[in-house]
Amino acid sequence: MFIARYMTTPALAIPQEMTIPAARELLQSRHFRHLPVVDDTGKLIGMITDRDLRSAYPSSVLSGETIKTCLAELDKTPVSAIMTRSFFTVSPSSTLDDALILLDRERVGALPVLDEGGKVVGIFSIRDLIKAYRTLFGLGERGSAMIVVEDDGNPKPLTRISRVLEEHRIRFTRLIRKDKDDALDKATIYLRVNTYNLSAVRNALKEAGFNVTIPTITLKPE
Amino acid sequence: MPTLPLTVITDPLCHRHDTGGNGHPEDPARLTVIAGRLGQSPLAPMITTMPPRPAERQWLTTVHSEEYLYRFEETTLAGKSYLDHPDNQLCFESYEAALLSAGAGLAAIDLLEGGATSRAFCCARPPGHHAERNLALGFCFLNNAAVAARYWQQAHGRRKVMIVDWDAHHGNGIQSAFEEDPEVFYLSLHEHPTWSFPGTGWKEETGLGAGKGTTCNIPLPPGSDDAAVMKAIAEQVEPALSRFVPEALVICAGFDGHVADDMSGLSYTTALYRQLGHCAARWAERYCRGKVLTLLEGGYELNSLAASVEMYLTGLATPEP
Ligand SMILES: [Zn+2]
Repeated sequence: MFIARYMTTPALAIPQEMTIPAARELLQSRHFRHLPVVDDTGKLIGMITDRDLRSAYPSSVLSGETIKTCLAELDKTPVSAIMTRSFFTVSPSSTLDDALILLDRERVGALPVLDEGGKVVGIFSIRDLIKAYRTLFGLGERGSAMIVVEDDGNPKPLTRISRVLEEHRIRFTRLIRKDKDDALDKATIYLRVNTYNLSAVRNALKEAGFNVTIPTITLKPE
Repeated sequence: MPTLPLTVITDPLCHRHDTGGNGHPEDPARLTVIAGRLGQSPLAPMITTMPPRPAERQWLTTVHSEEYLYRFEETTLAGKSYLDHPDNQLCFESYEAALLSAGAGLAAIDLLEGGATSRAFCCARPPGHHAERNLALGFCFLNNAAVAARYWQQAHGRRKVMIVDWDAHHGNGIQSAFEEDPEVFYLSLHEHPTWSFPGTGWKEETGLGAGKGTTCNIPLPPGSDDAAVMKAIAEQVEPALSRFVPEALVICAGFDGHVADDMSGLSYTTALYRQLGHCAARWAERYCRGKVLTLLEGGYELNSLAASVEMYLTGLATPEP
C-alpha cells in the first residue's frame, strides 16, 4: 500500500530556468503530463502541467505578426514564470489512501513524491493510482472469479469464510466486506477465488452457512 | 420431421481422462450422460458415431509451444495429479485423451470437407477454450477449437474461420491465439468478467494490430436469460458474421450457462440451446456451404447438460419452425 511501490520513477524534475518550449518538448517526448520544477539545490519549488504549457502559447486566431512576437518571447521565458507554486506532495512511505484523498480533495492530476531531504524521488499520478488499485483488486487476473456472498449477520463472517476455504484448499486472493449503504442495500462480501472449481467454492461456503448470490443492480427509487 | 444426418465424434478413451473424483466438475460422467441421452433420443437414427484420431504434433504446434506439449506429456507420465493449477487434474492417460479431444475436430473437418456430413459434433473431453499456448487453465489442456481453426485453414484452404463461443465463460485461450490474426474471428458470449472465471473477455477488447476488429466479446450480466442471448445474437453476432463472411464455422458449445449449472450465474433454459442450434445451422447454410463444426466445451450439471446437448443437436439438424 506504500506509494514507493507504485510511483513512477525515476523522477524527471526540471530546473526553473528551463524555457517553456524546452519543457513542452520534454513533456511530449516522454508522454508525461506533469513535471516537478526544482531550484539549484534540487528543492521542489513548483509544478508544471501540459495544460499550463499549452495555455502559455498564443492563440491561433491572433495575427501572424503577433504570434511571432509571442513565440519569440516564449523562447526566453523560464518555466518558473508560469509554474504552479502551490503543490501537494507525498512521501515514499505515504499510502495509496493518502494519495487518493489528496488527489481527490485538491483536484490535481499528480503528486510529486519527496524523500526526507525534500528531494523529488518520483511522481504519483491518477493513472498510477488506477493501476495500483487495479492490481490490488485483482482486475483481469487471468484464472480468477469473483463470488458474491450475502453477509448472514452472524459474528466473524470473514474468519468463517477464510477458514472453510482453507480447509477445502480453495485458493483465494481477496476477501472484502462492504457494509450496507442504505435500507435497500445488504452487507455484502466479495471473494476473489483463484480456481475454476466454483462448485467446490459454493459447497464450501454453504457448509459455513453462507448464501452465494447472483449480483443484481438495486435501483434506487426516483 | 425431416432431419439432416448428424455425425458425433467420440472415443472411449476420452472417458479415461480421470480428474480425481471428489466432486470435480469436469467428470467422465459428462460424456456418459450425453451418450445415454442421445441413444434414447428421437435423433438417434440420424446419428452416425465416428472415432477421432490423435491430433498430429504439426497441428498442435500451430497453437501450443513444443515446450508446453512436452511438459504436459511429462506431467502425465510422471504420475502427477495436475498441470499448472490443482484445477487441472489429470492422470496417466490424460495426454492421450487430450490428443483425441483435439484430434476429434480434425477428423470432423475431414468428414465435413469430404462431404460425408454437414453437421459434426465433437463429444470429447478434456475441453479446450481456456488453454493457452503455454498454460493449462480451467480444466483445459489443449485448445481444441484453435487447433481445429488452424487445421481448417492450412489443411483445407478455408482461410476465414469464424469461432462462435457461447460457453458461459470467456475462451481466453482462443482469444489470445487469434487476437492479431485478421483471418480468424473469435466471438464470445459469456458472463461478465467482473463476476466470472477466468476474469477475461472485456467488451473493449476487439483484437490487436492486423487483427483489430476480428475479436468480439459480448459480456452478459449475471442472471442473463435466453432473451438476452437472442438479442445479442440479432444485434451483434449476426452483423459480425455478415461483415466477416466466414468460409468455415466453429461453434464452441459449452452448456454451463444453464440455470441449473452452478458454474456460472447465467440463467439459460434448455430451450435456448435449440435456438442456438437453429442459428448455427442458418449461419452454416448462409456462409459455409451448410457445414458447421461444433465442439463440446463446458457444461457440468449432468441433467441439464444431457438435455441441452440433445436440444442443441435437434436445432442443428431440424428446420426452424
Ligand atoms: Zn465454461
